[in-house]
Amino acid sequence: MLSLKSFWIRKKISKFLNYTFLIFLIFNVNLNKSFSDNLEMGEATIQQMIIEAQKHAINTIKLEPNVRSLKIELLIKKYINLDFMSKATTGTFWKKASEIQREKYKVALLKQIVLSIEEHLNTLAKLSYKPIKSERRGKKLIYVKGVIEDPAKKKPSVNLLWKLAANKNGSFLILDLEIEGISLVSSQKAESLSILRKNRGNFDILLNNMTRNN
Amino acid sequence: MTKKYKILFIKCITAAFILNGCSSSNKHVSENKDPFEKMNRNVFQFNKYVDKKILSPISKTYVTQVPAKIRLGVSNHLQWMDAPNTIINSALQTDMENTILASAKFLLNGLSLGFYDLDKGETVIKKRDFGSTLANLNVSEGPFLMVPFIGPKTTRDLTGTILDRQNMAKLSSNSIDDINLAEIPINMIDKRSKMSKTIDNIYLSTDPYIKVRSFYLQNRRNEIYSKKYIENKNNNLDAEFEKFLD
Repeated sequence: MLSLKSFWIRKKISKFLNYTFLIFLIFNVNLNKSFSDNLEMGEATIQQMIIEAQKHAINTIKLEPNVRSLKIELLIKKYINLDFMSKATTGTFWKKASEIQREKYKVALLKQIVLSIEEHLNTLAKLSYKPIKSERRGKKLIYVKGVIEDPAKKKPSVNLLWKLAANKNGSFLILDLEIEGISLVSSQKAESLSILRKNRGNFDILLNNMTRNN
Repeated sequence: MTKKYKILFIKCITAAFILNGCSSSNKHVSENKDPFEKMNRNVFQFNKYVDKKILSPISKTYVTQVPAKIRLGVSNHLQWMDAPNTIINSALQTDMENTILASAKFLLNGLSLGFYDLDKGETVIKKRDFGSTLANLNVSEGPFLMVPFIGPKTTRDLTGTILDRQNMAKLSSNSIDDINLAEIPINMIDKRSKMSKTIDNIYLSTDPYIKVRSFYLQNRRNEIYSKKYIENKNNNLDAEFEKFLD
């Protein structure tokens, strides 16, 4: 009788362990699948953006500079997380800024991004982009590594690292771009914070400086 | 080398080490370590003036008037002339792979005095200088400096540049040393022409001085420090980013 009972308990434990293992396996497979799905989505976002930018560079070459800028602005807006970039580049000063100042800063920052992209747009059209590797970082971030190459091999390759995160809709947006290890958000942060610190957090002075240069 | 120059050299090294000593022993310094900012900004304005009036027009003429193939040859030759520094410093850093590869490439390209890259860029060689050797020996980065005509440096890198120059002078014959000195302006024009868009973009930024400092420090640290440093830096940035995403 005792051995029968122990046999029954053992059977139950083994059944429990089997189910636990099965649940773990299903959960793990799903988790890995969702991780790899996210990575693929992140890579696809970058690929799509590069293709659109190259098309844009070719199609808009004869347009007026202002119209061209406006078009590239719309394209960039679609792919970057401007809210995040604004917060990340102003740090604790962001909380102290008024709603109007925040909006103005976002516009000025976008303008700066557009300006720097425009400078390299025609060159970008002649180059090719190749994704290298993507990895999940922490809970929310995705890194997509790639390289920009010159098919004619006249220019050296440039290593890029895109940092992305999903927004509320589930689509991926760019948070930062590192070109040969130089983070654009970190550089902009250093600039903005230097002006804000010098002027005791006066956002208007920063905005004036930014719009003057734009 | 005359006695006068020897004394000047010793003075420079001592000054650089003293400046370096002003810093904390922390190997990875923060972005804001710039105690000489006021002086640096003045030097930056001077360098910008020199660049706008002299270097930029010359480099633009260089790009438009000199055929791309010749410019590539000059660029290859300048890199080749700098190779002994990489070989010496890779050996000092016990990076034997880089030492061997750099030596082999130096000897191979030596057949064309470095004007033609016979290896066709197949071998990737990490550029090493005395600044990176000092970093390898855990010498702290020191304060950021803007050096007239040279541009951004840290005290450690400035010390490294001076020592590299001394090494080259000691190792090579007088005539080669003279060629080396004559090639400094060519090197400046070559570099300026390659970075023309980046430099123009920097001048358009809100605070060009801060942008140069940020670009230089980020680039230099990525060049010098190990993968572990880059991983640490990325982890810190990730944590900061996640905080802003919340």
